[in-house]
Amino acid sequence: MGSVKNMVRGFVFTAIYVVVTIVIPLVTFSLIFNLVVQGIPLDFEQQDFQNVVFWIVAFGLVVSGCAFFTFSSPKQSIRRASFALIQVFVNCLYVWSYKFSGATDLSFVIIGFGSFTLDVQQMIMTYMGIYFLTIVLKVYDIIDFTINREKIRENRMKA
Amino acid sequence: MILQTIEFLDVLANIIGTILLFLMPIVVPIGEWVVSWISVGIDFLRQNFSTDFMFYIIICVILVVSGIIVNIIWPGDKQGSIFHKGGDKIDDFEDKYDKTEDDIVSEVKRCKDCGNPVGDSEICPLCGARQI
Repeated sequence: MGSVKNMVRGFVFTAIYVVVTIVIPLVTFSLIFNLVVQGIPLDFEQQDFQNVVFWIVAFGLVVSGCAFFTFSSPKQSIRRASFALIQVFVNCLYVWSYKFSGATDLSFVIIGFGSFTLDVQQMIMTYMGIYFLTIVLKVYDIIDFTINREKIRENRMKA
Repeated sequence: MILQTIEFLDVLANIIGTILLFLMPIVVPIGEWVVSWISVGIDFLRQNFSTDFMFYIIICVILVVSGIIVNIIWPGDKQGSIFHKGGDKIDDFEDKYDKTEDDIVSEVKRCKDCGNPVGDSEICPLCGARQI
């Protein structure tokens, strides 16, 4: 019974991660790239859009897979802590993919008016800092769950 | 602007800013290190797996399938199927042991008059009654 519950939880979180890491960014970037300002469409290179979309979907898939393994694992298990750590590393790659694919520094040209640049690089750097703190927390979790393994298992069996 | 208009948030922002400035000599090298290894990983993926999604789909499927298999074997709230067989054997042994102990207790001969254990003796050592 426990395994079914774990897997349902895993699938729910996978669905959430698919929405957050793939669907929402895809919709957002599609809207940005199809933006029309005062009846004039923005001009940009199609290659940029394809590049951004490719890496968002690619890393989004890996993040969602890791999320399934992490959230389908029993609470306070070493397995869960290990995969949570791996997931944070993959998340770092995912966030960084925004930068190198050009999504953090998009230039838009409004024909007849001029151009503007959407620079979210600082936001990405802040995310990276937060992820580093998360890595530290996950490493602590692994150490904690390893040291208190017997106690955690006893409590889990009683529940 | 919001931080400047609300006094509490202004103070909070100043405190956080001071902490960040204090930690900057430590945090910046860590950040550079994080960026360096991420760049290596990203470069590798860009050079080798930047043409189609197949590699990433395979990783995702492997993670999900292995997650399902691992959960079936080790669900976490009870001993997994591999260890469960051993557990059954231990339980069977314990049941057997308990049964044998009960049998031994029930098989002890007792005096018909006073109930004192008499063993193989024909006369009760406590009350002297004959056990026939």
